[in-house]
Amino acid sequence: MSDPVEPLPADKPRFALLREPANQVSPRAVTMWRTIAVTELVVAALVLGAVWLLVPAHPWWLVVICAVVLLPLAVVAIWQPGISNRIHRWEVTPGAVYTRSGWITTRQRIAPLSRVQTVDTRQGPLMRVYGLAAVTITTASAAGAVEIQGLDADVARRVVAELTEITSADEGDAT
Amino acid sequence: MSEWQRLDPKIMVIGPISAFRQFLLPSLIALIGVGTQQPRWLLYAAPLIILGSVGVGLLPWFTTRFRIAGGQLVVTTGLVSRKRLTAPLDRIRSVDLEASLLHRVLGLQKVEVGTGVDDSMIELNALSVAQAEQLRSVLLHRGAEAVRGGAAPVPDATTTEPDNGEAAPGHGAPSGHEAAATEQVLATFSPSWARFAPLSLGRLAIALGALGALWQFVGDVHISLARGDELWELVTGASLVLVLLVLLVGALVVWTVLSMVAFLVQWWNLRLVRDRENLHLTRGLFTTTSTTIEERRIRGVRLRETALLRLAGGGEAHALATGLEESTYAVLPPTPIGVTTSVAADILGDRAPLATELRPHGDAALRRCRTRNLLSLLPFAVVTLALVLVSDGPWWPPLAVAVALTPVGLLLARSEYAHLGHALAHRHLVAGSGITARTRTVLQTDGVIGWVFSQTWFQRRRGLATLTATTAAGSEKVTIRDIPLGDAVSFAGAATPGMLEPFGRAGPTE
Repeated sequence: MSDPVEPLPADKPRFALLREPANQVSPRAVTMWRTIAVTELVVAALVLGAVWLLVPAHPWWLVVICAVVLLPLAVVAIWQPGISNRIHRWEVTPGAVYTRSGWITTRQRIAPLSRVQTVDTRQGPLMRVYGLAAVTITTASAAGAVEIQGLDADVARRVVAELTEITSADEGDAT
Repeated sequence: MSEWQRLDPKIMVIGPISAFRQFLLPSLIALIGVGTQQPRWLLYAAPLIILGSVGVGLLPWFTTRFRIAGGQLVVTTGLVSRKRLTAPLDRIRSVDLEASLLHRVLGLQKVEVGTGVDDSMIELNALSVAQAEQLRSVLLHRGAEAVRGGAAPVPDATTTEPDNGEAAPGHGAPSGHEAAATEQVLATFSPSWARFAPLSLGRLAIALGALGALWQFVGDVHISLARGDELWELVTGASLVLVLLVLLVGALVVWTVLSMVAFLVQWWNLRLVRDRENLHLTRGLFTTTSTTIEERRIRGVRLRETALLRLAGGGEAHALATGLEESTYAVLPPTPIGVTTSVAADILGDRAPLATELRPHGDAALRRCRTRNLLSLLPFAVVTLALVLVSDGPWWPPLAVAVALTPVGLLLARSEYAHLGHALAHRHLVAGSGITARTRTVLQTDGVIGWVFSQTWFQRRRGLATLTATTAAGSEKVTIRDIPLGDAVSFAGAATPGMLEPFGRAGPTE
């Protein structure tokens, strides 16, 4: 995979689809996603429950509001962590970063390391509790940022070190 | 230019005038409020305003100095808080010259230097024409053959620049004569282009906005129409249709004249010139501007024909550049499509990307175009339905609206599908887009710095994807919508050889 591939003639690509990126996110990421989704559902349910108790007549539009708010949140809480876990994958080769993310809309992003400008890690409070980190790789295009979510914090550190080493060897302004 | 230099002394004429203008309007507005009750205030305020603007206007000449030294352009400015702006010469990406009517009378030019690193421009207002030209020449051609041709050393690393000292403004710009030999004219202005001006509806929106603001102002000042009542009787007396017709025709005539005048004022005497790897664009009837971009910063071109322009055989061209404040850069006003295309081809250095046939995206994409355009018209039907429900109206209007809009939606879908497509031409990728407007975006494949394959749930069901080529130029991405996934992968693979290979696999068809 790390072998340099010689350029192909424009009319004869050797492949028609992209394979999956090699690595999965940390299993703890699924737990975190589920925690977030369930918390959102519970908070929304509590707020709407309070409103339900305060509004005496239980008009029809309150039912509609409850349904519109709670059903999507329930769907997210039940399905999203699992689907995201299947979709979210990542890979770093000596030449490029390749990620897949999303759940309803999926995105596969490829950024060649020669065009990488910054490599950042992000660790929110909840991510710290679960020992996770996200790595963001930006290029000169605002549309080209690649984020690897749900990495084990140690893996994230290793990835950043690796990426920094590779990208610092490149020259030019990467545009 | 290693010596410290000042602005042209004649700026002391312009400074107070423009400061006065800046003071005048706000103070007038403030005074109208106070002054109508107590006119004395005007007497006190007038000398203050005049003295103040003279003082503020004179300041820049005394406080602003600049030089080129140590491979850097250094500008110091400010009276109380001194500001020192430095720009390494190899970071300077654009040098723009601008001259208002007043500047032109005095033979002055405002110089704006863009570095693209931060969004601020370094402004020198103003230098003499010769000084400005020379500064631009030095800033843009440093290090390159131009500097060698002018016998000036590469202005880096050292502070000694023998040539620049003697090439003072009085000598005129020596590079001006050389430039004539290397210039290649890409486009010159033709007044007949003004016929496209009324068709640019984007400007109509701006004009209507200005009109709205004016209307508000008139309302605020309480200008009472003394004969308003008579006018109203006259209007109500005539047939409503006739009145509307007259108003419509009147508005059309006014818009046509106004837009053409604005067009001529803005683009008069346009010249697009290539000079030693730089594109120069000069234009303007009263205020002349001259902008320059390095060709190596240009990654592509966007050709756009709005529906109205296309009917009249016109189109617009934008250059997609990296590291400029305004990264989609209008190189031409709306012009006949032949001119637009040939200039775009000159800028790209290749005609093929503009002429090549686009590969269509197939039936699945067409179906998605239909769904999308029909859904985009749905709000009209919903609003009608809501109105009927609220007002207890008859049952048929929502249905009528739906029936009437369906063909419109289908037509829009056909039009969008016809514009959709992609192609690869030598070193450029081409993306077609637009619903009513036909847009062709051409991007150097070298300028692609990443790919995004995005699929919504609906796209996955139809085997389509939205392919985004990310780039540092223009709007930083080129999007190809609803392309079959297999096509997307092989297209991206072919456009950037080597980038996708490690991640590719054979499709189910192979």
